[in-house]
Amino acid sequence: MPTFDSEKAAELHQELHSHLPSDPALRVKTLKSLAIERGLVAPESIDAWIEAYSEHIGPKRGAQVVARAWINPAFRERLLDNAAEAIKEFGFQGSATGHLKSVENTYDKHHMVVCTLCSCYPFAILGMPLAWYKSTEYRARAIREPRKVLEEFGVKLPNHVGVRVWDSTAELRYLVIPQRPAGTENWDEERLAAIVSRNSMIGTERDLQIEAG
Amino acid sequence: MDGIHDLGGMEGFGPVPVKTGDAHFRDIETWEKRMWGLSRHNLAPGITFDWFRHGLECMVPGDYLDLSYFDKRCANYLVMMLDNGTITMDDVKRGHVETPDPPAAVKALEETLRITSKSDASFETEAMTEPAFAVGQQVETRRLMPGHHTRLPRYARSARGIIIAHHGAHFLPDKGVHGIEAGEHLYTVVFAAPELWGKDADPRDEVTLDLWESYLVQT
Repeated sequence: MPTFDSEKAAELHQELHSHLPSDPALRVKTLKSLAIERGLVAPESIDAWIEAYSEHIGPKRGAQVVARAWINPAFRERLLDNAAEAIKEFGFQGSATGHLKSVENTYDKHHMVVCTLCSCYPFAILGMPLAWYKSTEYRARAIREPRKVLEEFGVKLPNHVGVRVWDSTAELRYLVIPQRPAGTENWDEERLAAIVSRNSMIGTERDLQIEAG
Repeated sequence: MDGIHDLGGMEGFGPVPVKTGDAHFRDIETWEKRMWGLSRHNLAPGITFDWFRHGLECMVPGDYLDLSYFDKRCANYLVMMLDNGTITMDDVKRGHVETPDPPAAVKALEETLRITSKSDASFETEAMTEPAFAVGQQVETRRLMPGHHTRLPRYARSARGIIIAHHGAHFLPDKGVHGIEAGEHLYTVVFAAPELWGKDADPRDEVTLDLWESYLVQT
């Protein structure tokens, strides 16, 4: 059983610091060896999980959800009402989507998601977060100077747009629904999904490019 | 806990690594992928989400800033396994346990996808009290400094905001960190940027936080 004792955790971290190899790859090797020898992990299972997150669980899932919301008003309603339930129509429910919420960009509102206290993210629908999302820079700055951060992503917001930054402090996770670009009126769901970028679903991109479709 | 993890609003950080930090999972370092694969397993039986997060918060502060995401997780899993007796510090020094256990069963890709689809755990629980606040109401965050794990960030203490959603009762992290499941009403509260960052902040902008009832008072 865990001790749930903060001071012990801090002491263990300090002691561990002096015993671990300096190369992170070797540190993970140590953890891997110990976990395998303790009968907690099979090496083949690690590879299976890597394949799952390399090829199957990623932002293409979120993009399909957004595309359907664009062309199907009833689905859009369900997604805005209860995203955790709505994504079950795709079978995309999973890690960290039990309390998924969707927030929709509009003409005068831009949504952006961060987790300042750790790196909370809706894994099962967007895959593994990119390094920038987990960086100290993004976590420190997104809430305080969102417009400057957006500029670093190449987004310049017009004057009429307000920014709402969602700091994921509980087990709720947020999916941004970007605006559907003009010129895509007759596109089908698959073609639309191809232009929905990962960053647009986190809110660090606003105007989607239609060339990619 | 007033720890190094509570980064929101801290100044002095440079540009976000927009270009250098945008590699897809399949293109990151092998050890990073391995770390993620490892962390999909129950490496430290008995731990809670909150205790794991708090473990990260208890890292040597310099390490917290220096180590990357996967590297922090590696150190923290070792601490979690040391703490609950799964391994000893001598095992870590050796890189091997003294007496190995029987090997774990192999999980194939299909199994990992099935596990993922069943992992949309709910953190909602039955409410034992009526909600103290309602949507549309103005509230103020308390000036809490509990010295343990909590999810009210430093930057949002003693700040006034408006409740925009009520989510029923969710497990309170301040209890979960001690292994206790206790439900409390959870709300989403929106704060105007000038309320958090002073009068020069952009009045068009706002920040929302998901906050438990005991973090809030009526104004």
